[in-house]
Amino acid sequence: MRRMNCNTITPEEFVYAARDFIELSNKYFDSWTIHQNDNEILNTYIKKEEFVSHRDENDKIFLYRAEYIIFYNLSYGVPSFSFNLWDCSGKLLTLEQVREISLMKISKEDFYSVVTQQEHPVMYRPYFIIHPCHTAKIVSAFRYTSRNLIITFLGLITPLIQLNLPLEYGL
Amino acid sequence: MTTIDDKQDIIQYVPFMSFVHPSFWHSLTDMKLNVDKLNENTKQIYGRYSYRDDIISVLEVDGTSFNKDPETEFHYINVTGTLMNKNTIEDFKNIDKAALINSVGEIMRANIQIKSWIDNPNSLLNFFVLSFADLKKFHYYYWFAFPAPSQPVVCLKEKCKNISTCFNEKQIKEISQSYQLLEISQKCFFAIVKDGDLYNVVTLSKILDKNRNKDEESNIDLTNTFFAFADHSNCENPGWPLRIFLAALFEYCPDLSKTIIKVIGIRCSKNGAINNSQIYNITVPETIQTPQNVGWVGWERNERGNFGPKLANMSSSMDPVKLADTSSDLNIKLMKWRLVPDLDVTIMKETKCLLLGAGTLGCHVARDLLAWGFRHITFIDSGKVSYSNPTRQVLYTYQDCLNGGRRKSEAAADNLKLILPTVQSKGLVFHIPMPGHPIGESLKDETVTNIELLTEAIKDHDVIFLLLDTREARWLPTLISAHYGKITINAALGFDSYLVMRHGISSAQEETSINSTFVSGDQLGCYFCNDVTAPGNSLKDRTLDQQCTVSRAGVAAIAGALAVELLVGTLQHPLRVKAPAVYNLTDEELDPKLQGVLGPIPHSIRGFLHSHQTVLPTCTKFKQCIACSEVVIGKYKEEGLDFLMNVFNSGTYLEDVTGLSELQLTAEMTEILTLSDEDQDTTSI
Ligand SMILES: [Zn+2]
Repeated sequence: MRRMNCNTITPEEFVYAARDFIELSNKYFDSWTIHQNDNEILNTYIKKEEFVSHRDENDKIFLYRAEYIIFYNLSYGVPSFSFNLWDCSGKLLTLEQVREISLMKISKEDFYSVVTQQEHPVMYRPYFIIHPCHTAKIVSAFRYTSRNLIITFLGLITPLIQLNLPLEYGL
Repeated sequence: MTTIDDKQDIIQYVPFMSFVHPSFWHSLTDMKLNVDKLNENTKQIYGRYSYRDDIISVLEVDGTSFNKDPETEFHYINVTGTLMNKNTIEDFKNIDKAALINSVGEIMRANIQIKSWIDNPNSLLNFFVLSFADLKKFHYYYWFAFPAPSQPVVCLKEKCKNISTCFNEKQIKEISQSYQLLEISQKCFFAIVKDGDLYNVVTLSKILDKNRNKDEESNIDLTNTFFAFADHSNCENPGWPLRIFLAALFEYCPDLSKTIIKVIGIRCSKNGAINNSQIYNITVPETIQTPQNVGWVGWERNERGNFGPKLANMSSSMDPVKLADTSSDLNIKLMKWRLVPDLDVTIMKETKCLLLGAGTLGCHVARDLLAWGFRHITFIDSGKVSYSNPTRQVLYTYQDCLNGGRRKSEAAADNLKLILPTVQSKGLVFHIPMPGHPIGESLKDETVTNIELLTEAIKDHDVIFLLLDTREARWLPTLISAHYGKITINAALGFDSYLVMRHGISSAQEETSINSTFVSGDQLGCYFCNDVTAPGNSLKDRTLDQQCTVSRAGVAAIAGALAVELLVGTLQHPLRVKAPAVYNLTDEELDPKLQGVLGPIPHSIRGFLHSHQTVLPTCTKFKQCIACSEVVIGKYKEEGLDFLMNVFNSGTYLEDVTGLSELQLTAEMTEILTLSDEDQDTTSI
């Protein structure tokens, strides 16, 4: 058998960090919520919804609802970031539309290598998922020093996606 | 004091924008299908809006809107609404919208007149949704209304100002704290009353008397009273709820006429502070009562800015057929996004595949095509599904064998749709004419028809798979495919060996130099090029491609998969059917131009399960090939049906035409003479 990879975290560590993070989120009036099922530890996830607006080239403003979900990625052994957006009629945005509203702060070329649409391992519906390939190394580097694993993880995500997080997290 | 410009200071209320979350449509659909069915009765639902200063002016509905009791959320006001879901698009279109909003308005007016709102202020606000759900397409037409009386018109005495102009920091904090203590049903409309140095947050029932006679004085101390409401607006203008609040207040106390009233629009930040709240000083007009027959307004404008319905096209996230389609496409796209950025995803979707033979090979090939994102698959087979088939022919089930068995090509096409409903698959049932199988007079018409059907089918498709169980049956499609320049992939099985190859096409034969490292795709040999005997002659002992060949169970799966991979490799090469086949694929210094996006593409793959060996022979067209040579294709072009009939009726006609008969003797001689050399070669592999 392969040796256990020391870059990964366990589901229990994830759930512990998620609970701790929710307390901080409440304290800073951020609106993350935790969804958990004691029998299915792998199905624990944290979620936040917010409105985001986008001004197009004709100065027309479009309003979207964004849903962010952080879940435990079993195959990589790290937290994973996923999201969906929809317009005022409830219609989900396509990958191309997500790119156009520049919610992601990366170049067009890098976009597709970082974000992909996939069937969500926890929600069982298509979501945009940020590829977790570099997460493991960085998360493990801060594993024992970081105040909270989720915050460290969000620090990796915020350069890519506009999340409007409270400054108090210290990112 | 500045002069008042009447026009400018008419209050412009900030309307609500409806915002529907996907879960609203899920719940509505569920309700319609399982509870309401054809019942068109209106339904009470809940919406909510926020008076947070960082949340835009929307009224949201979602899956919980249908709950018996509304969900509560910080800094949100729940609003009761009415949903009228029509059964037909005509009813939705034809219903009189002005009359509809007036009838809703009349109910609201009655509520105002019986003054029940004084005890239950949230009930003043209302919304209405008219909808039609096309549940076949998952299209939802809907139109929100936020009813309010069009009269009276009210003006501001002066520009609105921030709450800090009238209250100090400490007072604001106190107000915010006591506001939070109000019951949820009292939070939409309330009052702030000054008592000495103190400001008290009070419910409306504290200052308005429900049982007061209309002629009595209302006794509201206007200098010390602020009316207040939860204000969703984020700009200078007050939010829509104020409009209905004022109408109700004026109805309650006509003696407010010509006074100035002070109203606070409560706007809070996410930590609950209300420092961004606004104060509006309002000049109450002389005639303040809403006339009995006044019209009600409030239909929402759509995205084009017109008064008209909106459409939610939810098919991509709700239609299971579409979900299956996009989700299976994701597999291919992931490959592109993650590993092969130059992969052409659309070419698989657009390429039409014709599978000749819906047996073990045909079933495996079809499934692998589906997996690679192909969506056009046609089967040709004249056989029926028998009880021995389903375990090996992976598209069939026991059910297909019953009652004499379904036609294979039709069952295969239907079962493919069970796997992915959006696949365009069909089955054609006919027999493919074979050389050396004489056609009697009775079968002549049918044979002619079958030739035409096959020709049309080949012309209609981009790729032809030869997955037949006899060598003879491959001849006619090889010829026609080469003639029309189609990509042809051929697979044949032995007991524990297989051959998978691609064919060249009809084009002028080029002389290739001895030193060339590759053969251009169009110049590649066909299945028959390596043979020195024409089909129809079954005397020679063959290991491959014999009717009734029994194969090891994995052979068809391996060969089928390789056949599809060979096709995909070819399609992903910019030269497609002309994609070169290199002699030595393992050459590390292989010219990148000879490779496709997925690597170099062999001409043929021969595998032997016994020794677990694979070899990749490459050869050019054989000048005297009985299927793809210029002479044969030329004769087919010139004589057409007559030529074909001659071939079918005579086992040796093709050999005569191509001069193979003469060659054969020589060939056999050569074979014998070189035997010892070949033996040595084989052992040195
Ligand atoms: Zn040939």
